[in-house]
Amino acid sequence: MTGAPPQIPANEPALGYRTARTTAKVAGVFSLVFLALLVANFIGTSVIGPRRENHLAAMKAALREGEATDEKLSEIRQLDLRIRRNRIWRLDFAHKTGHALLASIVVFFVAGKLARVLNKRLPRPEHAPDVGVEQIREARGARWTVTAGLVILGGIVALLVINEAPLAFVVASGTEPSPVAAVEPNETGPSYASMEEKRVQWHRFRGPGGGGVSLFTNIPTEWDGKTGKGIAWKSPVPLAGNNSPVVWNDRIFLSGATETKQEVYCYDAVSGRLLWTGDVPISPAVAAAELNPMEDTGRSASTMATDGRRVYTIFVTGDIAAFDFGGRRLWYKSLGVPDSAYGYASSLDTYEDRVIVQYDQGDGSEDKSRLYALDGASGRIVWEAKREVPNSWTSPIVVEVEGKPQLITLTDPWLLANNPADGAEIWRAECAGGDVAPSPIYAGGLVLAIEPYSHLIAIKPTGQGNVTETHVAWTMDEGGPDICSPVGNDQYVYLLEGQGLLICCSVADGKKVFDHDLRTDFVASPSIVGDKIYLLDAEGVMHIGQVGPEYKELAKCELGEKCHASPAFVDGRIYIRSLENLWCIGGPTAAGVAD
Amino acid sequence: MTRSSHTLILFAVLLASGAAAFGLERFPPPQFETDYVRPTTTVPNPPQGFWEYIDAGVLIVTLFLATYLILRKRSRKWIFALMLFSLVYFGFFRKGCVCSVGAVQNVTLTAFDSTYAVPIAVLMFFALPLVFTLFFGRVFCGAVCPLGAIQDAVLIHPVRVPRWLESGLRLIAYLYLGAGVLFAAMGAMFIICRYDPFVGFFRFGGNWNILVFGGCLLLIGVFVGRPYCRFLCPYGVILRQLSRLSKWHVTITPTDCIQCRLCEDACPFGAIRKPTEPWPAKEYRVAKARLAFFLVLLPVLIGAGGWAGYELRGWLAQIHPQVRLAQRIYLEENAQVEGTTDASDAFRATGRPSPELYSEATLLRDRFGIGGVLFGAFVGLVIGGKLLSLSVKRRRTDYEADRASCLACGRCYEYCPKEHERWKNRKERLGRS
Repeated sequence: MTGAPPQIPANEPALGYRTARTTAKVAGVFSLVFLALLVANFIGTSVIGPRRENHLAAMKAALREGEATDEKLSEIRQLDLRIRRNRIWRLDFAHKTGHALLASIVVFFVAGKLARVLNKRLPRPEHAPDVGVEQIREARGARWTVTAGLVILGGIVALLVINEAPLAFVVASGTEPSPVAAVEPNETGPSYASMEEKRVQWHRFRGPGGGGVSLFTNIPTEWDGKTGKGIAWKSPVPLAGNNSPVVWNDRIFLSGATETKQEVYCYDAVSGRLLWTGDVPISPAVAAAELNPMEDTGRSASTMATDGRRVYTIFVTGDIAAFDFGGRRLWYKSLGVPDSAYGYASSLDTYEDRVIVQYDQGDGSEDKSRLYALDGASGRIVWEAKREVPNSWTSPIVVEVEGKPQLITLTDPWLLANNPADGAEIWRAECAGGDVAPSPIYAGGLVLAIEPYSHLIAIKPTGQGNVTETHVAWTMDEGGPDICSPVGNDQYVYLLEGQGLLICCSVADGKKVFDHDLRTDFVASPSIVGDKIYLLDAEGVMHIGQVGPEYKELAKCELGEKCHASPAFVDGRIYIRSLENLWCIGGPTAAGVAD
Repeated sequence: MTRSSHTLILFAVLLASGAAAFGLERFPPPQFETDYVRPTTTVPNPPQGFWEYIDAGVLIVTLFLATYLILRKRSRKWIFALMLFSLVYFGFFRKGCVCSVGAVQNVTLTAFDSTYAVPIAVLMFFALPLVFTLFFGRVFCGAVCPLGAIQDAVLIHPVRVPRWLESGLRLIAYLYLGAGVLFAAMGAMFIICRYDPFVGFFRFGGNWNILVFGGCLLLIGVFVGRPYCRFLCPYGVILRQLSRLSKWHVTITPTDCIQCRLCEDACPFGAIRKPTEPWPAKEYRVAKARLAFFLVLLPVLIGAGGWAGYELRGWLAQIHPQVRLAQRIYLEENAQVEGTTDASDAFRATGRPSPELYSEATLLRDRFGIGGVLFGAFVGLVIGGKLLSLSVKRRRTDYEADRASCLACGRCYEYCPKEHERWKNRKERLGRS
């Protein structure tokens, strides 16, 4: 570059500058054209393309439903080919146009800069303003800008501070102590209780094995709810529910629910004090499903279950949750709102560290029913077995047959046995129908199942596959209850109808031994404790009889409150849930309690 | 040839390039009915390790060359050429990574996480430009940084940004630096890399939103010189401070300033400072009071900033993926959202209890509290410091390139008559020899 400024004619731009300027303009126009082409291509891909594909999908659907003619097939193939060709063409077009756009943009910028360089003018400073005033004004303006920025920033910060960050888990991390009571943490050791440990607890609906049989022989036979005689304590249950108490050592678990709340309660077995209340969320899908269970079922009919380390609960909404014994919710899941005519009521069971869920729903044709095993610690589905069965209200049982575990469920029309470890089916027998509610039991080496109003059937559980024709031990055709599950030992099996008819049959051959009309209504299932049978009627009166070839009443004990749930029997105590309270009968403190 | 034929030829060339846009129709891929197995998708091998050292070597060479061209040779033409080389090499060839701007985060993370080892090449990318800046001013920005180069390349018709606006906008870069350091220190995210507006152009593909953002910046950059460098670049914040201390730096005139005013509008980045004039006496009194006020306000701003940073710990913590996961798991467990995400499914598959995750996330949130205090105090310090600096009277007798703001592009040289004198003398010397 020389020291002398370039000699440029006053009004005649240089040729180089004009060429560069024209090039930049033309490149700019081309850039806009290519951009417009890309946008048009995008519209074609995202609007026109899907329309054609939808049309193709409709043609295929029509083909599946109707007759497949050569003409229709040819039409579909041609359209499919056109769509693919178009798609690939558009991709290629976008690719090339994009490169062309890039090239024209580069040309635009190169030509533009060249034009700028070739059209440099000599600087012509304007009349010098008052520099001091100008600098003061600039500094003042800058200070106000910074101040305005500070105010805006402060406003944003204030808004964010007022609207706290949504970190709800911080509260859930348990930094605040439970307001109810300090409860000792979970037991240490193996992650689930053994079968031997379960035998001396009442860890699920109707106790170990789900048969309603207690091994203890020191169960009370005399009490009076009105006077308090024989009553250790009674405690109110905050929310209603038809589920039965579940007992593990010195903890009793119940659940209750309304339309807007689902809760789990833990009571101290000795004092009856409510130790903690656990919340179980209600899935948002429940509101949309307009769930309306039958009043007799209620919203919390399923009895809880425990594996000795965690306790599990499920509600009519299909919401299932797990808590540790300290009251901390470990996990929650929604299995989807169940399609159940009277409201979901199957109780839970446990196998090792898993919770077993019988989730029968629908009418059997929609592939909705499932049998689940969820991991107790995390709620993860370990396995699920599909069942082509309609809704039912029975509960699963896990029993040991010839040293191996079987998970037995009763539904319409099957009595099924699955391996609880992996869900694989072991055997099935067609033996029930209709709205099945009484759960199966295992007594005398046989699986006993009821078809309401029809019969009691006994199946030998040692088969494989469909054993309907080969493994039926006997059938008793003189009716069967519609709600109460049977109870039996090696000798006798008892059926209790809702209107009070008690039927006793022989386990060996199914022959009826006797029937006896108690002339009162029953909802709770019967239980055998040692050599006695306990029958809790709907008015809260416990009828205690002798197990034997004829009915012999030993005692009648009144609670004074209506009862629907089945009682729990553990080591010298009975726990009964009435409609309003949880009662403890017996035990060392059963000197009576003031109402 | 006539002028019109030139135009026609140009048209033809551009039209031919446009014709390529329509492309050729292709056949769709055949429907295989045989046992043909499509090849499995392969992943390209990771970049070879030695490339990092080549990049570091090229960086050193370009820094030295830039220093020579900017401070010694003082040639805008050669500075531009080197800048184009940097754009092509560091930008398009090496795909914008490793870059000095993002290296701030790597260095920060290694300071706070003992399990993270910053590669030596990355450390060099971080440190070398700082060292050169400390001695020679912002030579890195002038001809080496690819982000600056792409902006400089699109600058065609610069428009002056008012000083008052520039002062406010420049604070954004400080906030960006503070946030980038905070999130890197917490192991949450490298936001400077995540939101690099130009890396998508270097790689011919990227997140759509970032590409649009980068495109807008380049469009603005056609008129406003280097908007990212001046108002957003977090690395530039550090370079600004070091450049103030540099012994050698860009000067508009090679010798003495003769106050000819020809360079007043030479800088497209508003980095030329005019000589100052004495203020009216009243203004001095007001300025003293104002300065005292801002001095008192400074610790208040720092304290308020620290408090605000602490209170915002929840919001800041949500940048961390662990905290977001805990929140999502909680919402799913409490039926406040429907469905699950890949992240929540993956977490459940591990079998870890959710309370453990909640505890970890709560701990992270608490750590963000400490980080937030520091970040907020830093922001308060920056704003307070800026107000103070705008209240201090500077003394200048000559036209100067502001040491902090000057991007060492060399555009102002040719505006100075003394520079022309130097060229003339040099040419004469070369002619005689």
